[in-house]
Amino acid sequence: MKNRIKELRARDNLTQLDLAKKVDVRRETIVFLEKGKYNPSLKLAYDIAQVFKLNIEEVFIFAGD
Amino acid sequence: MKNSRKTLMYTSIVIMMAIWGFIAIEKGTDLFKGLDLYIFILIVVLGTIAFVRALKRDKEEKEGLPAEDELSNLIKYKAGYLTYMTSMYMWLFIFIFKDKFPNVESMLGGGILLSALIFFITKVSIKKKFNEK
Repeated sequence: MKNRIKELRARDNLTQLDLAKKVDVRRETIVFLEKGKYNPSLKLAYDIAQVFKLNIEEVFIFAGD
Repeated sequence: MKNSRKTLMYTSIVIMMAIWGFIAIEKGTDLFKGLDLYIFILIVVLGTIAFVRALKRDKEEKEGLPAEDELSNLIKYKAGYLTYMTSMYMWLFIFIFKDKFPNVESMLGGGILLSALIFFITKVSIKKKFNEK
């Protein structure tokens, strides 16, 4: 699963730490997500999408799509 | 860091130092010989790692970050499972070579400390190689 977190973070001028605080995870988790090494839970994916005011499928791109 | 966790951390350090003080008085210079020396070094290393990690978490919590989240829990569970499996073989070897230990306390203490060391190494290794691609 790919994602646009890094791109959206740059768009909204957010640091990894800012995003981590907003979605209540450790900064390390954001690093792993951006590298595509970790697939988040549905709740975390939803929370991240909410931060960027987008739908989940606009932030996370499934391999089959 | 919540006050209760901070109190627990400092209490643990004081208890550990008190126990080591007692052992040092009881054993004298024998503490720094043979297997006891390795156990002592292992305790100091693991204690230092735990203390540094607690300080790091304290700093992160002050920044408003959680101490644990879904990824850290996942890594912890995976490391726990692997440590359990590895520890079973380790205890088997310890019991096979039980004659090599000077006493039962050193054997059990060493085994428990090795389990802690295996958990730490496994956790670091999983974190490094973690990739769900």
